[in-house]
Amino acid sequence: MNHRILVVASALIGLSAMPLAGQARPKPYTAPRTPDGQPDLQGFWTNATYTTLERPKNVDKEFYTIEEAREVVKKAAADEAEQTEPGTIPDVHYDFTQFGLDRSQGAMALNLRTSLIVDPPDGRLPPLSAEGARRAAERTAARKSRGGPHDAVQNEPLGARCILMDRNGPPMLAGAYNNTYQIMQAPGYVMILVEMLHDARIIPLDGRPPLPSNVRQWTGSSRGRWDGQTLVIETTNLTDKFAFMGASEGMRLTERFTRLDDETLRYQFTVEDPSTWTRPWSAEVPWKKDKGPIFEHACHEGNYGLYNTLAGARAEEKRAAEEAAKKKPQN
Amino acid sequence: MRTRRAVTGFGVALLLAAAPAMAHHAFSAEFDINKPFKLRGTLTKWEMINPHSWFHLDVKGESGAVVAWMIEGGSPNQLIKNGVTKNTLAIGTELVIEGYQAKDGTNKGVGRNLLLADGRRLLLYSKETEK
Repeated sequence: MNHRILVVASALIGLSAMPLAGQARPKPYTAPRTPDGQPDLQGFWTNATYTTLERPKNVDKEFYTIEEAREVVKKAAADEAEQTEPGTIPDVHYDFTQFGLDRSQGAMALNLRTSLIVDPPDGRLPPLSAEGARRAAERTAARKSRGGPHDAVQNEPLGARCILMDRNGPPMLAGAYNNTYQIMQAPGYVMILVEMLHDARIIPLDGRPPLPSNVRQWTGSSRGRWDGQTLVIETTNLTDKFAFMGASEGMRLTERFTRLDDETLRYQFTVEDPSTWTRPWSAEVPWKKDKGPIFEHACHEGNYGLYNTLAGARAEEKRAAEEAAKKKPQN
Repeated sequence: MRTRRAVTGFGVALLLAAAPAMAHHAFSAEFDINKPFKLRGTLTKWEMINPHSWFHLDVKGESGAVVAWMIEGGSPNQLIKNGVTKNTLAIGTELVIEGYQAKDGTNKGVGRNLLLADGRRLLLYSKETEK
């Protein structure tokens, strides 16, 4: 369809003007300042990307050439817009392209990296530690002991319940849609509004300690500080109820935000959790300027899907019970 | 609808990585793969509520009786950002919708493909329509 070709073409425009990562810059960029003198990171940003967290197994280099990157984006955009086969599980979904929800139709933060993970150098998650593997098995067993995924609302994933999405963060990662962030700065605080689930991270910059260790929160306890031009946010006090990629509640996250030019905010993060991974790992995503405003994604407000899923599971159980009763020999 | 092409190389890795992030819940748990439908109806209300919008339609059955249906679609916060409003699709618009019915057997479904009465695909937002 012509429409799809245009969509893919528009996704590629950003790549042609993109400088090679690591290329020497003519002169160092100095970010504008807020009235109280902080580097100004304010505005709307997007981290929408087709670059995967882990490097594809058939790729063994850190950066694509521009031609290869174009090919990757073109294929990914075409795949996202491609029609699914009727009667298959992926077909049970509305079409992203009819709602302008496919990534290539919005602003994108394109780059030449072959993975978001920059360390380990192979671009892949480090192996699980023995403790991490054991805990993963225990979590799976505990989940099974609670019954099927639709047996009770508490068994539904946090995302289906509109509590927290896997990529809400911290750390903040892109998905298919809702990839915009708004940063606001006030003396002593920075606020990051996350479009997905409309979550506002309000982070003090005044040097106060994290919350007491017995206070555990879905998104932890974040404290920020400036390291030259870079905003550094450290997060602890996470909860075992939400395990980012299988992490423990002891995970320590360090996020770094550096403005590289008027249009680019470099987002880096490091995950330290020796009880899960054999070594720390780090990722990097260049965020790009996006248009605002962000409209409220009040997920819980209209979440008919949760009701329909549970009602559907009950109807299927009833049907199965009736069929079983019919098969029973009559006395 | 076209069949998904076989993809190779970079495409496979990207596709596999992208798939789980697509939806905030499993649509195949809400809707029944074994109950596909194609219905023609008149829009009576468009609920632009997050996380997914719902199209309300009056559908005339074979007996002539009118039955109310609800069809799940994309999230409004993105549509509004792209300039789509409740007025973009007028009440009374005739739509032909292919989709899958809710597992609980009620008249709800997910709209796999939304067509206007003249057969054109409904594009609520696309860069093509913006040009």
